[in-house]
Amino acid sequence: MVLKIDNVIPKEQPAREHTPEERALVLRLGVYINMRWLIVLMIVLATLVSSRVFHIGFSTGPVYIICGIIAAYNLGFVRQARSLQAGEVGQVIKRAQTSGNIQIVLDLVMLTILLHYTGGIENPFIFFYLAHTIAASILLPQRTAYSLATLAVLAVTLLILLEYYAVIPHVNLVGFVLDSRYKDASRVTGVLVALATLIYGCTYVITAVTGELRRRQKEMVRLRDQLLERRTMELEQASSEIVKLEDERRRFVRFLGVVAHDLQSPLVATQSFISYILDGFTGKITDGQRDLLERGVRRIDGLLTLITDLLDIPRIETGQIAREMREITLNEVVKRSLEGLDNLAQQKGIALKVELPERPLKVNGASRRLQQVLTNLVSNAINYTNEGNVLVRVTENKSDVRVEVIDSGIGILPEDMPRLFNDFFRGSNVGSKGTGLGLSISKRIVEAHGGKIWAESPDPETQKGSRFTFTIPKK
Amino acid sequence: MKERPKILVVDDDVDLVAVMKGTLESKPYEVIVAYNGKEGLEKAKKEKPDLILLDIMMPVMDGFNFAEQFGKEPSLSKIPVLALTSFSESLGQPFPFQVAEYLRKPLKPKELIAKVEEHLKKKGS
Repeated sequence: MVLKIDNVIPKEQPAREHTPEERALVLRLGVYINMRWLIVLMIVLATLVSSRVFHIGFSTGPVYIICGIIAAYNLGFVRQARSLQAGEVGQVIKRAQTSGNIQIVLDLVMLTILLHYTGGIENPFIFFYLAHTIAASILLPQRTAYSLATLAVLAVTLLILLEYYAVIPHVNLVGFVLDSRYKDASRVTGVLVALATLIYGCTYVITAVTGELRRRQKEMVRLRDQLLERRTMELEQASSEIVKLEDERRRFVRFLGVVAHDLQSPLVATQSFISYILDGFTGKITDGQRDLLERGVRRIDGLLTLITDLLDIPRIETGQIAREMREITLNEVVKRSLEGLDNLAQQKGIALKVELPERPLKVNGASRRLQQVLTNLVSNAINYTNEGNVLVRVTENKSDVRVEVIDSGIGILPEDMPRLFNDFFRGSNVGSKGTGLGLSISKRIVEAHGGKIWAESPDPETQKGSRFTFTIPKK
Repeated sequence: MKERPKILVVDDDVDLVAVMKGTLESKPYEVIVAYNGKEGLEKAKKEKPDLILLDIMMPVMDGFNFAEQFGKEPSLSKIPVLALTSFSESLGQPFPFQVAEYLRKPLKPKELIAKVEEHLKKKGS
């Protein structure tokens, strides 16, 4: 089945968010449109008050018509502003500025016409040209703002001059100012100069401020993008390094596998050969020969264990255990470990006891590795105990499972305690059996599981032998 | 059970293969040998042995790969496979199909014969 992509991705969703500059411009345009409603209302009110309350004489008809026209085009701009908000990124600024430009020119024309019908230079609202100048300076680029300021100055100058030279009739605000003021050259000049100065002054100040604001917004966006880019680069770099490390780790573990195989194969083969002789496949051997061959087998056994242990350490330290972890039942692990050790205990005449809860103890662990720890601790306990018993006790509390291996053996000398879990450490009170790596590997395994391991001697309960305890966090 | 059951030994260690062959041939067994997994698989298909002794770590095709290919052959699936592992091999890796038993190297000749007899008997019964 072919999936229609058009149905999956909503079309109206913009490719990315509007920039701060775009958002600010749309917002300002909205404010300007709202202001226009207010001004229409104010014109209507001012007309009502001046004609009804102050009885200023002028014909109000044209004023209301102009108000109607302004209201009508403002409705259009409201709609346009809405479409702008949902507009496509990148085109918003251009569209908003074009719209602002049109709005201001329209407003200037309307104001000039309105002013003509309401007394021209006599009307103090002549200073409302400033409002458009301010709007233009806020909304539009500097050059456009200056052009519109010039347009305003030209419009008002044209109106006043046309009335001054009687090209168009002058509407007098009867009862508000004396007629003929519009023909007073010095006054007309004064008002025009003051207005023009104000218009240009405002444009200068406001464009300077908004220009700075716009620059800062752009700078902010640039910095943000730069920061994002750098972060992405750093992340990419870090992840490629992780991939490289993981690759190296894998190669190292494979290398260890080959080393183990190549070191052990000849030993294993040699041992097989010797056992063929010992089993009489090559004819009868004397007791002296048997003794020497058996010593040889034991030495090779020791060497095989040492190789396994030595190669285990880097395997554990490169995080191999985490890869082997599954949800396991610790009860099973304990049972399996002890199965192999029953024989050893029997040979030494030692009782091997287990206290294990009935209910399954679930932990997150590498079962073969935990079995290795238990085998190590229990075989140590058996080896260093000449009479009595070895007890394996498993208990649990809220957060972890605790495994104790308690023996009644020769115990550990106090001076040996601090070094017990060190690599190649062998107790001062034992013959040099073993590689001296068993406990240090056990410690690494337990710690890789997030647990702890420690020893006490003598066992605090029985005051004999020693007690090894390790914990594994519960799942 | 056949008069002389056929046993396939797959191991890259020439010396070990020689002693295993010698041991098994001292009993009434016919022994075929292969020195890597690929060869072992070919011989298994051709000779249809009664039992296979399989080393896990081998060049060309190791025991894991061998076992995977082997498991896909319905004609071979009845043949018991005894896997030979030395100390630190196959750690933590699950075997892709059921091995009858894992035997740890070094294997004493008497043990080897006992295990082979045990599994042949099991298969025959």
